[in-house]
Amino acid sequence: MTSSTRVLFPRMPRGPRHDRRYLERPRQQGLVQRAVTEAFRKLDPRLAVANPVMFVVWCGTVLCLALTLDPRLLDAQAGARERGFNALISLTLLATLLFANFAEALAEGRGKAQADALRRTQARTQARRQMPDGSIELVDSSVLRKGDVVLVQGGDVIPADGEVTAGVASVDESAITGESAPVLKEAGSDVAGSVTGGTRILSDQLTLRISADPGKGFIDRMIALVEGAERSKTPNEIALTVLLAVLTQVFLIAVVTLPPVADVLGQAPSVVTLVALLVALIPTTIGGLLSAIGIAGMDRVAQFNVIATSGRAVEACGDINTLVLDKTGTITLGNRLAEEFMPVGGHTTAELAEVALAASCFDQTPEGRSIVRLAEKFGAALPFTAEQATGIEFSARTRMSGTDTPDGIEFRKGAVDAIKGFVRSRTGTVPAELDACFEKVSRLGGTPLAVCRGNEVVGVIYLKDIIKPGIRERFDQLRRMGIRTVMLTGDNPITAGVIAREAGVDDFIAEATPEDKIAVIQQEQKLGKLVAMTGDGSNDAPALAQANVGVAMNSGTQAAKEAANMVDLDSDPTKLIDIVTIGKQLLITRGALTTFSIANDIAKYFAILPALFAGVGLEALNVMRLASPQSAILSAMVFNALIIPALVPLALKGVQFRPMSADQLLRRNLLVYGAGGVVAPFIGIKVIDLAIGALRLI
Amino acid sequence: MLRVLNVRFWLPLLLVAGTLLIAPLFRSSQPPLQSHTLALLLCGTAALSAYLFAVIAQPEKF
Repeated sequence: MTSSTRVLFPRMPRGPRHDRRYLERPRQQGLVQRAVTEAFRKLDPRLAVANPVMFVVWCGTVLCLALTLDPRLLDAQAGARERGFNALISLTLLATLLFANFAEALAEGRGKAQADALRRTQARTQARRQMPDGSIELVDSSVLRKGDVVLVQGGDVIPADGEVTAGVASVDESAITGESAPVLKEAGSDVAGSVTGGTRILSDQLTLRISADPGKGFIDRMIALVEGAERSKTPNEIALTVLLAVLTQVFLIAVVTLPPVADVLGQAPSVVTLVALLVALIPTTIGGLLSAIGIAGMDRVAQFNVIATSGRAVEACGDINTLVLDKTGTITLGNRLAEEFMPVGGHTTAELAEVALAASCFDQTPEGRSIVRLAEKFGAALPFTAEQATGIEFSARTRMSGTDTPDGIEFRKGAVDAIKGFVRSRTGTVPAELDACFEKVSRLGGTPLAVCRGNEVVGVIYLKDIIKPGIRERFDQLRRMGIRTVMLTGDNPITAGVIAREAGVDDFIAEATPEDKIAVIQQEQKLGKLVAMTGDGSNDAPALAQANVGVAMNSGTQAAKEAANMVDLDSDPTKLIDIVTIGKQLLITRGALTTFSIANDIAKYFAILPALFAGVGLEALNVMRLASPQSAILSAMVFNALIIPALVPLALKGVQFRPMSADQLLRRNLLVYGAGGVVAPFIGIKVIDLAIGALRLI
Repeated sequence: MLRVLNVRFWLPLLLVAGTLLIAPLFRSSQPPLQSHTLALLLCGTAALSAYLFAVIAQPEKF
């Protein structure tokens, strides 16, 4: 992972995550009103046909309504007496349809309200486009195309997504991230080199190369996603749709074959009764809530300030077997701090402090600044004038940084191996204690940085890694869920091993390169596992694309965001664990409600079958002692309708998640939702039957 | 061609054609209104069953 975006000003204190949602919570009242309207609009058969279970209910409703208007449509002998019962069943079926449509519309409405919040950040603005001859023209932001070069300066709204090609400026990204602290954007930086349209430049000036055509920018894609415009069924939803369609088909055939059987038994069930039986038998509860559960899953991810590119990505989170995590920022706090100086080769601590200060005076990283602070505590002062010296930047190739003074002295600090090589290349010798210091720091779980002056090793700086509080417990939870964690770090194997043990990860890869990330992911995938990872740099893009779930940080490069299937607006790599939990919750909710829906059928058999075959010896099945056959059928239908809105909050909020293995989860779900699904309708139908009797509806 | 394969196209077609074809079969035992409604009900059930088979065959399209 590349270094994190530098911030110009100290960050504002951060509140709990739920207080920092950029996607404001839609107002409940407006949302419900819109959902009610949508529920009626969705009665259009061209829309209803998309849901097989509810389309069967729709057909049954139309048939019952027709038989209410004219009970003699199918039977010339039928009288007006049937009309009342037909009307009650028709209304109940219509209510079932409306409740199912309402659940879906409510879930969709939440996404649309979030999209509206995002759209408000998309104000059209004027942009200064640089022409090939260098002249500047003022154009509307909507005419900007990929590859155009624009100039932005303090106070401007950035007109479109782009890459910084020149300049340094602070940018307010709160419209996207909700984070009020400005971030520094500069040319040539991997992480801080991309800007998002709709954010505002606060100071200075930037030259940008536009990276997206109108309508295809980051916010446009986010709007399309939260609105559900690009929502396609996930593999799990498709499998469940097939199961529900098969069950519906089976029950349809079973109900159609009943009249001949009833005829032999001397019974003639009415068509409305047969429709009621069919609707009671098919899994209307899960059929009505299925798409709401999927949409709500996307919504829950969005409320965590994470934008998923598809429901498939959210669902894949629920099946993740392996998490590949960067050590820095995810397992440990991003900034390592200098803790101790360990002089070697007969040098004193004061000498080491002075050399460490000299090697770090141009180092603006948090680690570098902490070394300067520690050296100053020891009273160290620079042995040269900083203005005349040259800073040597850290590079992955040399693995060290430092300072060259005008009189030719080279101060360096870096990985112990790199410093050894540097000293030997200048005919110096390496003191024997260096390896002992290296091992001592590594065994403490810290990072040892060797320091040298020319060809002379002066000592080791102990950089302390701080493991995030509570991370061990999170990994324990993941383990209980059967998820394996792999830590990647550029640290040496001893340090990596100590941190891995302390944090409680299952495996680690030390001295890891970006290529190692892809190798780990491919290796796990070959074993049939699904892998999730986070990343922010361009060098993470191939691994993000390879992973089943790739979460890019919003502070990351455009390449990383394009390659990933989720973007975390808070740029918090720890959130990967939360996202996996949401994915699991989505799958568990769907499984729990399917179990509940199918278990519900049992009680409905006991209500409708004795009513259908009253008088042929099936009265013994009337275990609920329902008042009359018609009351039994109506009670079952009313329960069938009411259970949908009763379960809407659960479908939208998700079943409460407890970390446990798949076997334990299955047992728990069978007990709570299976047994509950059997018992609840017995109670519900009996209560409704009593109410119908009391109200003298039949 | 795609339009012909679409359920929204063939479902109503199946209903109307089927009703007109099988309604005469019920003429002997039912008055005209009932024979047509019965034919429509049977065709509707068959069409509904065909639709469910279509969902099972191509669930991603629904």
